[in-house]
Amino acid sequence: MSPRIAIEVDELTKEFPGGVRALDGVSFTVDEGEVFGYLGRNGAGKSTTVRILTTLLRPTSGTARVLGHDVSSDGGAVRKVFGAALQDAALDELMTGREHLEMAARLAGRSKAQSVARAAELLESFGLRAAADRIAAGYSGGMRRRLDVAMAMVRRPEVLFLDEPTTGLDPQGRRAVWDLVGDLRDTGSTVFLTTQYLAEADELSGRVAVVHDGRIAAIGSPQELKDRLGTTTVRIRVPDADEQRIRDAVAPNAVAPAADGWLEITVQGGEAAVPAVVGQLTGAGAQVDRLSIRAPSLEDVFVSLTGTQIESSPGGADHGKITAVRRGLGVPSGPGR
Amino acid sequence: MSPFAQLRLLLFRSLREGGRNPVLAYALPIIIPLAVLVLVAKTLYRVTDLPGFPTSNYAEWMTPAIIMLTAMTGVGYAATSLVVDIQSGFLDRLRLLDVRPPALLMSRVLFDVVRVVPAGAVLLVVGLLLGTRLNEGVLGVVLLFGLLVLWAAAYGGLYFVVALTTGNAQAPLALAPLFLPLQFLSTQFVPRSLLPGWVQAVAAWNPFTYMVDAARAMTTGPMTFAPVAKAVGVALAMLVVTQTASLRAYKRASGGL
Repeated sequence: MSPRIAIEVDELTKEFPGGVRALDGVSFTVDEGEVFGYLGRNGAGKSTTVRILTTLLRPTSGTARVLGHDVSSDGGAVRKVFGAALQDAALDELMTGREHLEMAARLAGRSKAQSVARAAELLESFGLRAAADRIAAGYSGGMRRRLDVAMAMVRRPEVLFLDEPTTGLDPQGRRAVWDLVGDLRDTGSTVFLTTQYLAEADELSGRVAVVHDGRIAAIGSPQELKDRLGTTTVRIRVPDADEQRIRDAVAPNAVAPAADGWLEITVQGGEAAVPAVVGQLTGAGAQVDRLSIRAPSLEDVFVSLTGTQIESSPGGADHGKITAVRRGLGVPSGPGR
Repeated sequence: MSPFAQLRLLLFRSLREGGRNPVLAYALPIIIPLAVLVLVAKTLYRVTDLPGFPTSNYAEWMTPAIIMLTAMTGVGYAATSLVVDIQSGFLDRLRLLDVRPPALLMSRVLFDVVRVVPAGAVLLVVGLLLGTRLNEGVLGVVLLFGLLVLWAAAYGGLYFVVALTTGNAQAPLALAPLFLPLQFLSTQFVPRSLLPGWVQAVAAWNPFTYMVDAARAMTTGPMTFAPVAKAVGVALAMLVVTQTASLRAYKRASGGL
């Protein structure tokens, strides 16, 4: 049985007055129970996407559905099934944490008694009980964010939107939000998470969409993206005599004499590409004394997608191809630099 | 939740918030009118010796006008808060909870209106202590406070227009001194007959003149139909104009209703 589709976005565009095209034909689907990372730089179109999905902004063209409800024509139904913590925790500085939650619960249609109970429950589960009756002006960044997410949970949403939930937080606050998303993931919630932090998308998301200039540059699980678009660095130590042999075998234009005997070979793709490289080296008759591998990171993927405009879709073609052999311990560069 | 229940909840929020910022929210509307009333009554009281001055107690002459003045020194706070609500994303949060944006605007407008009532009451009590007589009784006082809240909503609309058009939470501050010329170019300090000719002409176009005249009719009397009807008409017209403009500015500032 395939999971239900939680979010379905088809050819979404948004043009703001003045001709700024924030979204330029975005399509993706998010399955129910999935934590979907939406990764991009500032201005890539992340918040515009979230604002359209949460019915706060109308798309210029294209459609978007949340649990089957169209965001443009059926906004009321959409708002009943999701919760959202938008960029910058939207709090009233002069209201306490408890008052925020009680007011949100009341506005969501609960009775006074139910609202009081729901607020107490959320304060407890978000670790805000001690600060419940202090006004928000005195909250730390992490507490503000937790209260904001707690407000988003007032309706027990089936889909949760978190727009850059850790931007501006200290490491402790960030860890708290990560734990929170982890808990949501474990309880089967659907979470749409935007972030500009690669590590965050890698750690939390089942699948990641890399968004760049209003388009989706790539979609897949972090591992898939790394395998397809990342680069693995193979460091080897060989006798000086074998250096030329290796250069001939793997990439004709590389390798200068390395003082300490280490060479770096950059391989397109994930760790799966490594055995083939080793095979090539030994096939060339090189004697490899030592070998270490640096696995690709989502950052490599991001740089290769957004920094050098690599086309993502077909993938595979370059898999396992050695793109550079370099000396020393430099940071591997993307192809074409 | 019905729009009315939403409005009540949001108004309650504003009132509670005002309670946490009492000096700005509740005391400030009182301070300037109180100072004007007491200082003027104690320093310029010989004005009443001028031939043709209708009362012998200057405090009695000033009190009704000063009560209407509280509407003009008290507004602004709510318009600032509304801009903060929009900029902080709080309005978006309310929208996600299916609150219709006009409910937030209206809660802030009503907050301004509610805040002038205690201010007006304090000034009335001080006026009575200074010898003002309420010749038109309870009915006059009830009508006086009715006109006060109507005037507060009408005049306060200016602040909302400026705050929402500029999107600057501090902009209403710039409007604050407006009550000064409006005061002097009206019948607040002396009757129309004692104003220079050009001021009389300007005063006829100053809405505040009509509030002052009606407030006097409702307190020291005699209460006749004409000044009351004119004041209500002027205030209602101003209310419609300023609140229509503020609703439009709000629509733009908040990204649609």
